[in-house]
Amino acid sequence: MSNTTELIRLEGIKKSYNSVEVLHGVDLTVNAGEVIALLGENGAGKSTLVKILAGDIFPTEGVIKIDNSELAGLDVYQARQLGIRMIFQELNDAPTLTVAENIFLGQWPTSGGRIAWKELKRKAQEVLDRLEVDIPLDAIAGSLRVGERQLIEIARALIQNAKILVLDEPTAALSNVEVERLFKVMDQLKAQGVGMVYITHRLDEVTRVADRVQVLRDGNPVLNEFAKDVSRDALVTAMLGHAAVKNARPEVSKGHTVALEVKGLSDGSVFNDISFNVHEGEVVCLFGKIGSGTSEILESIFGLRTITSGEIDIYSERFTPKSPQDSVSKKIGYLPADRQRLGSFAIRSVAENLSVASWARMAKAGFVRKMDEEAAYGTWADALSISARRGPSQEIATLSGGNQQKVLLGRWFEARVNVLLLVEPTRGVDVGARRDIYEIIRKQAKESNMAVLVATSDYEEVVLLADRALVVSRGAISAEFTDDLVQANKLIAASS
Amino acid sequence: MVKLKSGSTAQGGEDGAKKRRKIPDSAPLVGVLLFMMVLFSITSEYFFQIDNFKNVLANAAVTGIVCIPSTFLIISGQIDLSVGSAAAVSGMLLAQVVNHHGVVLGLLSVLIFGLILGCFNGFIVTVIGVNALITTLGGLGFLYGVALLIGNGQTLGMKNFDWLGTAQPIDIPLPILIFTVLAIIGSITLRFTKFGRSIYAIGSNPNAARVVGIRSNRVMFMTFILSSVAAALAGAVLASQLSSGDPNSGLGLELQVVTAIVLGGASLAGGRGTILGTVLGLLIVGVLNNGLILMDVPTFWQRIAQGLMLIVAVSFDSIRAKLNNTRS
Repeated sequence: MSNTTELIRLEGIKKSYNSVEVLHGVDLTVNAGEVIALLGENGAGKSTLVKILAGDIFPTEGVIKIDNSELAGLDVYQARQLGIRMIFQELNDAPTLTVAENIFLGQWPTSGGRIAWKELKRKAQEVLDRLEVDIPLDAIAGSLRVGERQLIEIARALIQNAKILVLDEPTAALSNVEVERLFKVMDQLKAQGVGMVYITHRLDEVTRVADRVQVLRDGNPVLNEFAKDVSRDALVTAMLGHAAVKNARPEVSKGHTVALEVKGLSDGSVFNDISFNVHEGEVVCLFGKIGSGTSEILESIFGLRTITSGEIDIYSERFTPKSPQDSVSKKIGYLPADRQRLGSFAIRSVAENLSVASWARMAKAGFVRKMDEEAAYGTWADALSISARRGPSQEIATLSGGNQQKVLLGRWFEARVNVLLLVEPTRGVDVGARRDIYEIIRKQAKESNMAVLVATSDYEEVVLLADRALVVSRGAISAEFTDDLVQANKLIAASS
Repeated sequence: MVKLKSGSTAQGGEDGAKKRRKIPDSAPLVGVLLFMMVLFSITSEYFFQIDNFKNVLANAAVTGIVCIPSTFLIISGQIDLSVGSAAAVSGMLLAQVVNHHGVVLGLLSVLIFGLILGCFNGFIVTVIGVNALITTLGGLGFLYGVALLIGNGQTLGMKNFDWLGTAQPIDIPLPILIFTVLAIIGSITLRFTKFGRSIYAIGSNPNAARVVGIRSNRVMFMTFILSSVAAALAGAVLASQLSSGDPNSGLGLELQVVTAIVLGGASLAGGRGTILGTVLGLLIVGVLNNGLILMDVPTFWQRIAQGLMLIVAVSFDSIRAKLNNTRS
């Protein structure tokens, strides 16, 4: 390690937005042929730091040292010149074009104004060989697996002379096999002297792939050590902070009857052999990092996703999810994570958004009375303290995220469902409204004997919301915690 | 004190905004309509007369019959362009069957044709999953061919069946009465029934509609059937008015329908629109046509005016959407 070449060194980097400092003096050194794992909770400053590295953001203070020169910051052009490339979790490719075209996307070699196909294919093959991956050049990118498409993006970075690769949670959407393949490619790149910054939430990946590990917390550097010298517990403590206090747990309770039982559920790709149950009046949280399969399990129960094997029982009766419509008619509700796309009817009124799932019950001879809708809205606006200043006819899109989410929760309470499935129920909801929402969910579950199943990647949410917590890791349940054992550090350790 | 004051101004501002929001829906349309009526009254002495109004309305009624279910479709984010040719086929079919087998079988065949076509469109769009615009554009093309085929390219005279198009019970032409009844039923359906409200929900967010348990495909299928049946009825009324089936009689009907609906404030992006708006849009298109005829403007200029009007209408739709986006 001592005879490595330093590619870039960031020293004492500070960044402020409107006089609010978000990075408080962070160092980052990238050496050739070295992988640095960058860890930290959401909002710790990881993205700000790598954006400074990529030239997207100019630091407020600090120096950037390259070779023998010192700079106050980089611009995008300089970063490209230095060979700094970012690989994001979301794909940035053209799915309808071939692998070869994607590798050269936008920079196709030409001769006399026409694309030089032979040269393009030869060079594309060269770079794939360099990565030791076997993907046909003529395959259409969109037909490939996510992991393969990610490798193509890495290949594109290499074509553009990448010397420093920043990988932002690249494994979040990958299967185990694909993750291992990515790591092999990273080993390959390491041997070729590429320096890498690897952002991840998964602690097990750190020891597998990283040489050094750096942890940020609230914009401060809290740990910077060789990966082999640091234990998992030390990483968890560093990420959470020593001051991490136990959140107050709610009074735990549940009914006797099992409302939802899942046995050996698999979908053939994301999750495998999942078994658990939820009692009447009980709130069960499936906790796992994004991509672990928690949300997919809920989608499958609701009928948005097909299952390949396993059994679902609702009140001991076999339930085969056919379609969302079928599930709703069987008194199952589903709150999606993506409120915009799957949840709200943006240009319609709050009253209508709230009662839409109850029209079947409200309708008399096919007629739905506005009075009934407004009455339903009135009930839940009080119970959930929804503030829509213009009343029941206000368009839902004009409400705050927290209020919108309350309306969508009220929708299923009004529909009097027996089983309620919630995916990331407080995503995009401000902190104040979160506590409200947890309280409401628990209260409704107890009062109406509703079984609530939550998929979440937020451990605090689990601590505050769950009667019982199941940890999902890479598509399988890895731990179960009840009562006072539902603690943040236990959840994180079990999910990694 | 200060707090109270700022609170009350905000309240006042909001009330003001509420009132302002309520006006635009139909007021500008009424304004345009009145303006055109004044203009044409000045330019033509024949315009402002009861008989001419009846004429305008009777012509608009044929388009209007199609407009009602088409409004449903556009609100739900779909479209049916096959209505023009469907009306032509219906007219040809009616003439053919009435001449040989009588009125009852003639009307029955028209109804069956509408049902079959609606099922066909509904199937292709909801089950196969083809874009409605393309599906019904194809329908527009092949049905025109079918209309030509029935009469071997000729107009078919029709005997003893002109009451549907020309009868005047209570001194009002029957097509106007049919249209009025359909408009009232349509408006009630859209506003107050589960079916109608589902149409708004689907148009506003088709994915969310699925998640809350709305049987979107079933609703869409039904709406396509209504659209085709209405087109068939309109074709029958038209043939009855002309006492013949004319393969070219439905040309451009779809254009007038979409123009009227979009002028009436329905959004092509779905989720917005009313029957009242469509009726006003329809009257504007109808009065414009009539005024141009009375002003002796050659028919090809009418075509130009109609086409441009659609573009103006959809531009308004887009501008309105942009304004809404910047506001929120």
